[in-house]
Amino acid sequence: MTAIDRDTNWPEISFEERIGTAEFRIHERAHIVVDGDTCRGCSTRECVVACPANLFVPTSDGGILFNYENCFECGTCYLVCNKEGAISWSYPEGGFGIVFHRT
Amino acid sequence: MNRPDANDADVIVVGAGPAGSCAAIAAARAGRRVILIERGPFPGSKNMYGGVVYPRILDELVPRWWETAPVQRWVVRRSTMILSETGALSVDYRSNAWGQPPYNGATAYRPDFDEWLSRQAVAAGAQLVTSTTVTGLLRDASGRVVGVRTDRPDGDLTASVVIACDGVNSFLAKEAGLYSATDPSNFTLGVKETLALPKHVIDERFGVRDDQGVDIEILGGTSGVNGGGFVYTNLDTIALGVVLKLPKLAAQKKRPEEIIATLKAHPAIAPLIEGAEVKEYSAHVIPEAGYSMMPTMVTDGMVVAGDAAALCLAAGIWLEGVNFAMASGMCAGEAAAAAVARNDVSAKGLAPYTDKLNATFVLRDHKKLRKVPGLVLSDRVQQRYPAFVTSVVERVFRVDNPQPKPGLRRIVRQERKRAGIKLSELIRDGWTGLRGFG
Amino acid sequence: MTVVACLKWVIPRVDDDDRFAGISAADQSALEFALLSARPGEDVVAVSAGPLGAERALRDAVACGLSRAIRIDLDPRASSSAVASSIASAVAGARLVWCGDYSLDRGTGSMPGFLAARLGIGQALGLIDVTIGDDSMSVVRRLDGARREIMRVTGPAVLSVEGSTARLRRASLRGVLAADNAIIDVIAGMSSPIDAVDEKPYRPRARALAAPSGTSALDRVRSLTDAGTATQRSETVVLDPPEAAARIVGALRDWGYLG
Ligand SMILES: Cc1cc2nc3c(=O)[nH]c(=O)nc-3n(C[C@H](O)[C@H](O)[C@H](O)COP(=O)(O)OP(=O)(O)OC[C@H]3O[C@@H](n4cnc5c(N)ncnc54)[C@H](O)[C@@H]3O)c2cc1C
Ligand code: SF4
Ligand code: SF4
Repeated sequence: MTAIDRDTNWPEISFEERIGTAEFRIHERAHIVVDGDTCRGCSTRECVVACPANLFVPTSDGGILFNYENCFECGTCYLVCNKEGAISWSYPEGGFGIVFHRT
Repeated sequence: MNRPDANDADVIVVGAGPAGSCAAIAAARAGRRVILIERGPFPGSKNMYGGVVYPRILDELVPRWWETAPVQRWVVRRSTMILSETGALSVDYRSNAWGQPPYNGATAYRPDFDEWLSRQAVAAGAQLVTSTTVTGLLRDASGRVVGVRTDRPDGDLTASVVIACDGVNSFLAKEAGLYSATDPSNFTLGVKETLALPKHVIDERFGVRDDQGVDIEILGGTSGVNGGGFVYTNLDTIALGVVLKLPKLAAQKKRPEEIIATLKAHPAIAPLIEGAEVKEYSAHVIPEAGYSMMPTMVTDGMVVAGDAAALCLAAGIWLEGVNFAMASGMCAGEAAAAAVARNDVSAKGLAPYTDKLNATFVLRDHKKLRKVPGLVLSDRVQQRYPAFVTSVVERVFRVDNPQPKPGLRRIVRQERKRAGIKLSELIRDGWTGLRGFG
Repeated sequence: MTVVACLKWVIPRVDDDDRFAGISAADQSALEFALLSARPGEDVVAVSAGPLGAERALRDAVACGLSRAIRIDLDPRASSSAVASSIASAVAGARLVWCGDYSLDRGTGSMPGFLAARLGIGQALGLIDVTIGDDSMSVVRRLDGARREIMRVTGPAVLSVEGSTARLRRASLRGVLAADNAIIDVIAGMSSPIDAVDEKPYRPRARALAAPSGTSALDRVRSLTDAGTATQRSETVVLDPPEAAARIVGALRDWGYLG
C-alpha cells in the first residue's frame, strides 16, 4: 500500500485522551467478564483489534487483561469472539455505564 | 387466560429509542396503559448514530414536529463521495427547499432527539421509567410472554403485550427465540468522532449558512475494511466516522480509531476538519444485513421493532435506521393496542403488525434494496451527466416515507430517457469511470 | 420526630443541562444514612434547595422510601448561608439532619455548619464512618494530618458525610413507578445576611518540604525529583492473598502513602 499523503493539521490525541472524551458512570459490578483461561488458547484475538474502547489487552504471559469500566456497551466483542464461553456479556445496572452527550 | 386488568400495564415497551418512544406514543394514543422502560439515566444516553434523521413519519405522530424537535441543522446538501487512496469522486446534490417546512432530513444529537421524543410519549400518557435494565421476559405456562423482569428490587412487571425495542443487541428477541442464530457478518461497528469547530468555519467550509446542513456519505476510505464513512455538520461540531464490517475488521490489524485517523487524513477530507478538536468519541453496532437477517417479528404476547428487528438500512449511500425504527415502532404500538382491545394478544392477534410493516415503506424499502450496493456504485460514476444524475439523485435521496422509495432501476430508466442518454453510452461511460476510479 | 436528608442538585458547568445533573455521592450517602437512622414511626424527609430540575433528585429519593420531599425554590447560586436559613425553616424540630460533606460545584462545605447554627443543634461534620446503634451513633470524623476523631451522637444534630461512607440503596420498581405521582412540596427560599460574591476553583494546598540536600543546584534538583536514580517501585511477587495484601499495605507504608 502506498503511503497516504498525510496533510493533517489537528492535535493528535492519545487513546487515553480519546476515551476521556466520553462519560462513563462506573458501577462496582463488572458487566462483562472475560475468562482468561479460554483466551489463553485463542490465537486469533478478534477482540483486541475490534473493541472500539481498546479494553482487551494481551498480556506477556499469553492471557488477556480486560477492564470493563470504559465500555461503550456496543456488543462488538461478543459478536466477533469465536470461542464459546470466553465472554460473559450483559448490560450494566440501569443508570450506569456509558452516557453519550453529543453524538 | 389471565385477567388483563390485573396487569401492571396493557403494553410494556422496552427501550426508549426512536422505536420505543413511537411505539409508546401510538399505544398510549389508542388509550392503552403504557410503561416505557429505558436502561440509561435518560432516553438517548446510550444511543449514538451517524447524525441525520429523516423524521417524515413523525408528521403522523407529532404534528409540526419541526417546531420543537432539537435539530442542529436542516440538510440541504447531500453528497456521496467515492474515495480511492488519494482521489475522490463526489456527487453533490443541493436543494434549499429541504431547508424549509416540512423539511427532509436534519442533523441532531441522539441524546437530544431521543429524550425529546420520549417526552412526546409521556405527553401522550405513557409512563417512562429510566435507569432500569430489563433482564428477561416473564412467560406463562404456555410460553406466552406476559411481562418483563428488571434489575430493580421488586422488579417484575406484567402486561398483555411486550414491545421489544431494545436495539441491535436485542436480548429479548433472542430470548423469545425470534432469531435463529447470530451471525457476526450481519453487523457493522460504527465509530465516530464529534469534532468541534466554530460555526462560521463550518458554514464556510461546507458552503452553507444559518441552520443549513450537509450530509456526506463516503464509499471507500476505510483502509480496505468493507464499510463506509460519513461526515455530517452540526451547528458547531462535525460528526465524522466509519462503519466497519465486523468479521473484516476483526481479521486485519488496524484498530477502529486508526481507520478514522486515516480517513481524516485523506486529502478530500482533511481540509474540512482542519484544526478541529475531538469533543466526543463514540461507538455502536449496526444490524447491517437488512432484509436477509430479519427475525420473526411476532410471537405470543410480544412484538419486535426497530434495530431489535434489524429494520435498519445501511447499504452503500443509505445510512438510515431512525426513520425505520420510528415507523416500525408506530406500527407495533398500533397493532399492540388493537390486539389488547380485541383481547387477542396471541401471535395471530398481533399479526397485523407484520401486515402494517409490509404495507409501508419499512419493509418495502428493505425488500427493494436487498441488492442495492452494486447498482449504487454504477450510478455514482455518472457524473458526466449532471442533469441526469442530479435528477436521479434528487429522487433517490428525497426521503418521502411513509411513501416507499421508488425503485432505483425505474428512476434511472425514467431519468435516462428524460435526459436523452442512450443506454449503450451509459454502459460504456460507466465502465470507463469504474476503471478510472476503482 | 423526623430525620432529614439535604440533597443538592448540581448542574455540571461544561454541559449545563439537567440531563447531566444529579446529586453527589456524598449526598447519596447522606440519604442512605437518613433512611437507615430513622426509628420506627419516624418520618424521613428529603430537602433540596434549588431550581425545578431538582425535583428529579427528590423523586428518585422518594422512590427509595421517603415519607416526604420538599423543594425550596432558590437560585442555584444562593449562598450557603441562604440555603441553610431556608432549610432550617423547613425542617425545624428534626432529630437528625444528614448532609453531604461538601457539594460538587461550590464545595466550601459550610452549609451544614450554618444549618446546625440556625437550628441550634449539635454538629458532626466530615464523617468517614458511621455506626448506628439503638439510642446513639458512633461516628468517625476526618481531621487534618490524617488524624481521626471518634464521637458519640445522642441528641439532635447535623451530620455531614463523605461520599464513600454508604452506598445508596437501589429503589424498587414499584417505588419508582409510585414516585412519578408523588407530591413534592415547594416552598419559597429565604435570603441571608451573608452572601457569597465569588468562588475560586480548587487548588491543592502548599506542602512544606525540607530543603533538598546536595551542594550543587543540579544535585538538589536530582534529590527533589529522583531523576537519574533507578527507582525500584514495581516488582512481581507470587503470594497467597492474605500475604499479598499485607505486602501491598507494607509497601504503601514504606512509600509514604499510608500513615
Ligand atoms: C454509527 C451509526 C450510524 C448511523 N447513522 C444513522 C443515520 O445517520 N441516520 C439514521 O436514521 N440512522 C442511523 N443509524 C441507525 C440508527 O441509529 C438505528 O437504526 C436506530 O437508533 C434504531 O432505533 P431503535 O429505537 O430501534 O434502537 P436504539 O436507538 O438502539 O434504542 C434502543 C433503546 O433501548 C434501550 N435498551 C436496550 N436494552 C435494554 C434493556 N434490556 N432494558 C431497558 N432498555 C434497554 C437502549 O438504552 C436504547 O435507548 C446509525 C447507526 C450507527 C450505529
Ligand atoms: S475474548 Fe474471544 S477473541 Fe478475545 S482473546 Fe478471548 S477468546 Fe479470543
Ligand atoms: S461492548 Fe464494545 S466497548 Fe465494550 S468491551 Fe465489548 S467491544 Fe469493547
